Amino acid sequence: MQNAILHIDGDAFFASCEQARNPQLKGKPVICGKERGIAASMSYEAKARGVTRAMPLFEIKKLCPDAVFLPSDYETYSLLSERLYSIVRRYTDQVEEYGIDECFVDLTGWDKPHGAGYATIAQNLKKALDTELGFTFSGGLAETKTLAKVASKWKKPSGLTVIETAKRFEFLDNWLVEKIWGIGPAHTAYLQKFNINTAGQFARMNEWQVKQGRARPFYDTFLELNGIQRIPFFGPHESYQSIQKFKTFTPPSRDFDFVFSQLSKNIENACIKARRYDLHARAVYVILRTQDFRHAWVEIELKHPSHLPGEIIEQARPHFEKLYQKNILYRATGITLLGLDKAADQLDLFDENLYRERLERLYHSADQVAQKYGKHTLFLGTSFLAKKFGAHLGERGDMPRRQRELLPGETTRRRLNLPMLFVEV
Amino acid sequence: MKYLSPISKFFQKHKRLPSYSEILTLTGLKSKNAAHKLVARLCAAQYLKKDHTGKIIPGKKLLSIPLLGTVEAGWPSPAEEELTDTMTLDEYLIRRREATYLLRVQGNSMIEAGIMPGDLLLVERGVDPKDGDIVVAEVDNNWTLKYFRKIGNKIFLAPANKKFSLITPKNELKISAVVVSAIRKYKI
Repeated sequence: MQNAILHIDGDAFFASCEQARNPQLKGKPVICGKERGIAASMSYEAKARGVTRAMPLFEIKKLCPDAVFLPSDYETYSLLSERLYSIVRRYTDQVEEYGIDECFVDLTGWDKPHGAGYATIAQNLKKALDTELGFTFSGGLAETKTLAKVASKWKKPSGLTVIETAKRFEFLDNWLVEKIWGIGPAHTAYLQKFNINTAGQFARMNEWQVKQGRARPFYDTFLELNGIQRIPFFGPHESYQSIQKFKTFTPPSRDFDFVFSQLSKNIENACIKARRYDLHARAVYVILRTQDFRHAWVEIELKHPSHLPGEIIEQARPHFEKLYQKNILYRATGITLLGLDKAADQLDLFDENLYRERLERLYHSADQVAQKYGKHTLFLGTSFLAKKFGAHLGERGDMPRRQRELLPGETTRRRLNLPMLFVEV
Repeated sequence: MKYLSPISKFFQKHKRLPSYSEILTLTGLKSKNAAHKLVARLCAAQYLKKDHTGKIIPGKKLLSIPLLGTVEAGWPSPAEEELTDTMTLDEYLIRRREATYLLRVQGNSMIEAGIMPGDLLLVERGVDPKDGDIVVAEVDNNWTLKYFRKIGNKIFLAPANKKFSLITPKNELKISAVVVSAIRKYKI
């Protein structure tokens, strides 16, 4: 193997976190996502009973009356996600955090320092994760990210699959195109026109035909399936390419002010993160998701690079007004900050410069207040409705146990940064 | 001299000085002109020098920046160097962070070992318990906090409370975690 990319993927990560901290739940069908009314993650016991992702709770109750429903506790999942990364980093710092429960690891060149082959390193890494976190992970080792993704999904849960480029067709011929990373419904439909259903058929296509057929990412995927690296690896310290904040709320709403307020809160959150890394966005995507999972979005070029929510909200508002349709129920809003860069360009207008400098100072203070008194101690008026009602209402909206049962000295805003074991002793 | 620190850190790490374009990325300056001005200032302050070809080489003061401590303003405060030998309360109480969980005590089976109801324990999972460790165990479908005792081949769980009796596991004994430290807070 010339290159060695390992993809690590948590097995039913959220549900596994719940079972790890509450051993009484081991062996039981556990479903996270109670607050959203749909299964966000389910344990393998629940999967065995036919529960699938995004299945509504009432349907799950029929299928699996003994299912345990839990509200998602993102704080605890994030704490355990950090552990996942820090264990992986014992092996190499070349880690790309791809999601809360998955990452790419570039092991290329690490065989010598470790005195072991790539497959052995991968095996040791997986074993360390499984034993220390107390639940299992699946791994895929290959020469490209796309093949590594196929490999990690090949045997789940708790598998470790190596795909040698020379032997790729043994796997790809048994893999549907729509299961390839980066191939969406549009690409799948396009490929079906040529009678191409498996990843193997796709990888054997005429290169020229693929190159002409669709946009570049499509061709990149084709090459990656053939063992040629095309998708860049975003290692450590390379700053965020983009920052996204996307949040669902229940029940879905058609109230303009409420939906905009949700967007405003997301913009504030994204800006907090951007300021933490001292990054400025040149453009943003505003995304609206409807009740029936359709998306409307718009890209907005900002007047000047910014990480101040007030500026972004002001420029996003007219676009939001165009995007928003009166009688449609919305269930989520999102923002993506794009074109992130360290230093903001200097402005020509002296007055405006001065004003922005004062705004920067204001937000700097707000960030310090947040550090002392908890996130969102100070927030914008446009986010008020989202704050007042929270993201989720009613019975579904019950809080995770960790947030209900606080330790002396903890507040609803700030808790100890270690996960809690839920056993009565 | 807020731009000195990234340059000096670069020098310590790479054992060479950055090129002009590297200076731009290190400092966030936008133009080569600004980088040239910065270099001129650093030369004047004797942090940098130019050799006969015009290349920048380390100056007298750059070489004398101590490697210890974090160089922020050019001179490390002596206190910082001393403090590198201290540890935080987190480090003191936690052995392996990746495996550590919090556990709130409810019962009084370990009261004579000084573990009271309401205490907060830091417990570690995935550890093989040794004789005398305090463990969180599952015995015959019950959860309990006890001393782990292993005498010869015999394993049993011992309470630190006269009102409780020894437990010899009948069917299965699972050790979920080993207690590493205990915390009790008296004031909020």
